[in-house]
Amino acid sequence: MNKWFAFCMAVVLTAAVALSGCSGSKEEGASGGKVKLVWWSHDNPAFVAANKTLIEEYKKVNPNVTIDLQAFPYDAFIQKLKASFAAKNPPDIAQMFGTWVTDYAKKGLLQPALDDSIRGNFFDASLGAYVVDNQLYGLPHEYNLENGGVLVHPKMFQDAGVNYPPKTWDELVAAARKLTRYDGNKIKVRGFDFTSGDNITFTFLSLILQQKGKYWTEDGHVNFSTPEAVKAMTALKDFVVKYKTTDMSLFGTEDISDTFFKGGSAMAIRGPWTIAAGKDTYKVSDFEYMPMPSFTSEPPYFAAESGWGEVVAKASKHSKEAWDFVNFMMDKEQALNWNIKTLTVPANKETASDTKLLEAVPLMKTSIDVLKYGQWIGPVQDRDYFFKQINDQFQAIAAESVSVEDGLKKIEKEINKMIDQHLQ
Amino acid sequence: METNAVRMLRKPVSAKGKLHREQRSFVLFSLLPIITLFLVFSVIPIIWGTMLMFFNYNPLDESSPFVGLAQFQRLWEDEVFHKAFVNTFKFVFIAIPANIVITLFIAIGINKIHSTLWRNTFRTMFFLPAIAPLAGSAVVWSTMFNGNNGLFNIILEHLGFAKVNWLTDPATALLSIIVMTLWADIGYNIVIFMAGLDSIPDMFYEAAKLDGANRWQMFRHITLPLLSRTSLFVFVMTSISYFQMFPQFQIMTNGEPQNETRVLSLHIFDHAFTYLNMGYASAMAFILLLIILAVTIIQLRIGRSQWEY
Repeated sequence: MNKWFAFCMAVVLTAAVALSGCSGSKEEGASGGKVKLVWWSHDNPAFVAANKTLIEEYKKVNPNVTIDLQAFPYDAFIQKLKASFAAKNPPDIAQMFGTWVTDYAKKGLLQPALDDSIRGNFFDASLGAYVVDNQLYGLPHEYNLENGGVLVHPKMFQDAGVNYPPKTWDELVAAARKLTRYDGNKIKVRGFDFTSGDNITFTFLSLILQQKGKYWTEDGHVNFSTPEAVKAMTALKDFVVKYKTTDMSLFGTEDISDTFFKGGSAMAIRGPWTIAAGKDTYKVSDFEYMPMPSFTSEPPYFAAESGWGEVVAKASKHSKEAWDFVNFMMDKEQALNWNIKTLTVPANKETASDTKLLEAVPLMKTSIDVLKYGQWIGPVQDRDYFFKQINDQFQAIAAESVSVEDGLKKIEKEINKMIDQHLQ
Repeated sequence: METNAVRMLRKPVSAKGKLHREQRSFVLFSLLPIITLFLVFSVIPIIWGTMLMFFNYNPLDESSPFVGLAQFQRLWEDEVFHKAFVNTFKFVFIAIPANIVITLFIAIGINKIHSTLWRNTFRTMFFLPAIAPLAGSAVVWSTMFNGNNGLFNIILEHLGFAKVNWLTDPATALLSIIVMTLWADIGYNIVIFMAGLDSIPDMFYEAAKLDGANRWQMFRHITLPLLSRTSLFVFVMTSISYFQMFPQFQIMTNGEPQNETRVLSLHIFDHAFTYLNMGYASAMAFILLLIILAVTIIQLRIGRSQWEY
């Protein structure tokens, strides 16, 4: 029987070894002075095109380095990244969304930047998630902001006889109410919309900041029991319940920018990255990107995530070459081209102030003007969980099944529980 | 001292024993590939997955602290889990009876058709949705349920009714998914019920007719009892499948609105692969396993048949 057991074990181990051969481990590296780097990104066509241009440009100055760009659909990309790092088989370079970087860096899966002095070139908000224990773990291409600007149809203002653009919060609310159209009990044109997965949270946080409020405690937990948080959440609830300028019927099914470009809303608060969809996908140009009035007399402060950027895996056998390519991407000229091609707001201060940027993308002016008011959203730990708690409770608040105060308490409790788990 | 007779007697026994050992080795050797596959892809993952519920396991972490039954305490306090639990039962309690009733009556209807061509045509027609991947069907149905320009709202508008936010109204979202699930899934059960109906001998119906039984009486006292084994199989398989339904919930609503369509499988998926709380997801999966096990045992007990023909 022992022989039999040994035989069985041998077969199982053989099968395991054979299966591990299917895990995608690859032979790559230097041969004859040539280096091959694997670079992963998501498959947004504009991003892929911009990435390919970077590779071509880099190849001109470093002919010995071959870069294999592999692009994946967004959802698959997220899972593939997690699986590859968990299996200790990551790509050399990954184009990650900044907020994801913190977790990977904390778990020791990323290679720290070789040159830390570059840090000062970037806006703090765009760099926040790339810095862990005062160590830089990647470099951002993008200042990912959802606030500061509003997609707007000026003609709808004109047709309704409403002054454009609204300059104050009260004017915004008044315009939104006049621009809203109903067909029976179904909303036909949303006067002001913010009901997407990202924008409920970002608008809520920005309204807190514009009251000079805070939502982080000293020990890295959230505090939404403040009067500022209550006032902010009440203001958002009012758009749905009191002013009825929008409803929750789009939530989870259609992006509010898609609805906007189809003429379903007069104003929609969405990041400047949606401008590309309007022009390229919907082929419309009858819209503008106007500055969002502040909730108070304070400047339009807002919270932003660290956007798309590059990280180098600690497991990479060519981290020096990988970092060299990442630094090349952050070169002023390359960064500018990348931001123009992807229609993203630059993370690099110098690139953001380059006049060529606004010449190429005039609609980005609104966002560029407010960058100085942005602050990093903070150590949210699990970004998806953080946003889901706010979205879940906002839906309940808007449905009036829970009060603003109770909803905020639930958000605070659930997020802090999650943060505790991550800090353990 | 062994006698010759004893030796003679032992010889065949020994040869038989050797043969038996060889046969056993051959059987084990023949079964080895399938046993290996079963161990690698079923037993080990199930044991591993179950063990995870005692740990705070995140695949990206270096260590996974042992937490005992803490995940179950967390489940007890998790309001979204409670909602997902209730939603799963709501879905199952509405969708399974609806599926059984619809498929049984369609199967009986098709069985009444005498023309083989039309019988096969109808059977194929009802089975076609089952061929399509559920995820693909879910995408198509999402567009048909679209609140603005979906097919159903276009029809309602033409008929003079108000549009309905099928997938975003908490009152209709789960029902919409149930309708889609029934459309996509009834084909299998129709085919199984038809096979069950075919196996009932005609003599029972002929005898019942001679006794003056009407259609309802024949259905009630012949079809239903003699179909009970098929019905039990359909019940059990449909229950196991519906408790684990996932693609349409993720694609059509992703659990929204207000978590009204969040079922256990979706909640498990989110915690396992979105939040990487694999230990917590494992605890939920264990609860789901117990539910399915309990429901299956109850169904098998209740549906035990005492007849043969």
